[in-house]
Amino acid sequence: MRTKGSTVVVNLQREDEVTVGLPPRFLVEPEALSLGPGQVAGLSGLPGTGLTRVGLSLIVPYAVSGPIAYLDVRGWMNPTAAWELGVEADRLVVVRSGDVVTWGRVVATLLSGVRGVYAEIPNGVREAMLRTLVAKARSHRTPLVLRPVTGALPAGIAHLRLEAKEVSWEGTDAGHGQLLRRRTVLEASGKWAKGIHRTIEVEDDGTNDLRVVPHLGIAATRRLA
Amino acid sequence: MRRRSAEGVCPSVRTITQDLPVEMTRFDPLVERIEEIVPRVEILHPGTMLVPMSGAVKYYGGERPLIERVDKELEAFGTDHRIGVGLGPFASQQAARMTSDLHRIHIVEDDDRFLGALDIAAIGREDLAATFRWLGITTLGALAELPRDALVLRFGRAGLDAHRVALGVDREVDTRDIPEDPRVHSDFDPPIDDMEQAAFIARNLAQRLIGGLARHGVAPHRVIVTAEAADGTVRTRAWRSADPFDDRSLAERVRWQLRTWIDGVSAGIRGGLVSLSLEPADLSGSGRQMALEEDAKTFEETQRALMEVQAIAGPESLLMSTGQGGRDPAHQVLWSRWGEDQRAPERDASAPWPGRIPGPAPALVPPVRVPFEVTFVEGVPDQVRLRSRWVPVLSWAGPWRHVGRWWDGEGTADRYQVVTSTGAYLCEVKDGSTYLLGVYD
Repeated sequence: MRTKGSTVVVNLQREDEVTVGLPPRFLVEPEALSLGPGQVAGLSGLPGTGLTRVGLSLIVPYAVSGPIAYLDVRGWMNPTAAWELGVEADRLVVVRSGDVVTWGRVVATLLSGVRGVYAEIPNGVREAMLRTLVAKARSHRTPLVLRPVTGALPAGIAHLRLEAKEVSWEGTDAGHGQLLRRRTVLEASGKWAKGIHRTIEVEDDGTNDLRVVPHLGIAATRRLA
Repeated sequence: MRRRSAEGVCPSVRTITQDLPVEMTRFDPLVERIEEIVPRVEILHPGTMLVPMSGAVKYYGGERPLIERVDKELEAFGTDHRIGVGLGPFASQQAARMTSDLHRIHIVEDDDRFLGALDIAAIGREDLAATFRWLGITTLGALAELPRDALVLRFGRAGLDAHRVALGVDREVDTRDIPEDPRVHSDFDPPIDDMEQAAFIARNLAQRLIGGLARHGVAPHRVIVTAEAADGTVRTRAWRSADPFDDRSLAERVRWQLRTWIDGVSAGIRGGLVSLSLEPADLSGSGRQMALEEDAKTFEETQRALMEVQAIAGPESLLMSTGQGGRDPAHQVLWSRWGEDQRAPERDASAPWPGRIPGPAPALVPPVRVPFEVTFVEGVPDQVRLRSRWVPVLSWAGPWRHVGRWWDGEGTADRYQVVTSTGAYLCEVKDGSTYLLGVYD
């Protein structure tokens, strides 16, 4: 019997090689961690867990048809992280503004013109404003990634909620090597996860590809109440 | 050659920064004088004008008298001028380059022969010219003899453009359907007398014009700028470009022209500017090559939205970035305001940059160095303070020694990649203190 929050390792390649005897009902295909036009993702987790790269990877495919925008509330965004994901420098617009009063107008305007928006949320933005922006994203068919500077998004806002649970790095030792590869364990929920909390492991080596870990995949945990 | 290299070779070298608006202000009186003799003079850039002769030749009784008249008028200004005469703008410019102090005028008698004998460098692209030269094609004549389809197959659009230049065809003007009245026009009440305001309007009008034409898949090679002053004076000037204008290049030229009219010796905008219009001509389809999945509607929507964001958040808030060389993550990015020309990189990205932190790049980089508490035990990172709690260091890499500009008194620093259970950080130890340089987020 499964326990609440347990992780089950399964093989994504061949069903008969599943290492744990549970039906692979909750497999997440590597390409499935994506955001459709007009859909909203919410990220929560400490800086350092890899969520900037995860969030950018959700809107990077839209940079093929036009610029994408990053609303940088803290003024810390490093565009190199986006270039490494394959975004051309002239397809990335960075808006540096931490003003909570104009934040909603800026995001709404960006949604009407660019192909994808990653917006950090300053403290003090009201839930009603977030819901308005979700509606705007849907009407303009522009994917929107929201990341509160502190805390998490209110419930019912995001189509896909990703919460960073664990992070580990390969490549470094006691003074040797260099950072090579990060593995982030994310808990996914929302409509994207069909009402189920799923644990996804994402591997990132700084190249233009960010992968859901093959062979390991995914775990079914609990149904939402 | 870069300025630093030049100063290394010749320490006494004097650097003079090119100021195109000032050059335009000084050039404009010459244009006005020539326009009194021959109408519809076109400016290529400050210092070069094109004078259409076909209509005026009859009035002045031949080509030679007209050229002598133009030469005499320019001489009255005391300028070191050169005149080239050919069938089109390209041939004329090449002819002007053939002149010397003794022979200021070069008239091309046989355009085909003249162009055919020109060095391959005249195509204007050094890389392509070098390739042609390597293939044994050293003149425009030799290039013109090559089959066009073979050039297109091998070099694409660049090959086609080079072949066209070699044949003496300056540009491909399209006669496709265009809007009946593509002009853009703005009236101002009260009149504008501030240069900053005028520059903003110039950019706005240029974007409207180019955006409107882009919907029809065309761009102008020639634009007539017309300004009306509050006292009723109307001033007109035509600008030409070998490559079709885009919104930035056009806005720049309109801005130069307005500055010339406002600040110039003729003080032509008395009482302020009451209207400004841009009229395009010589439209071609080679203007803006859009990406496969891009459409004109998207482009226009984006421009409008970003302009609005700029108005809400301020011009300093909307940024574009480009890569450059440097050891620190912060130094490897060159920022520029959206809507302005990208600045030239200050540091060579292809240089080795010893001590540079290896990739991947930290996704978050503080704009200024932030104090970061790290405890060291016997010189080894042990714990990191994140907000209110101490987190053990699981592994680390480094240090990478950074040697600063010792001649400026800058000391050395050691950089570490530090991994904890909550993520990885790039930090710097300098003068006994630790600072955060980036977060691998």
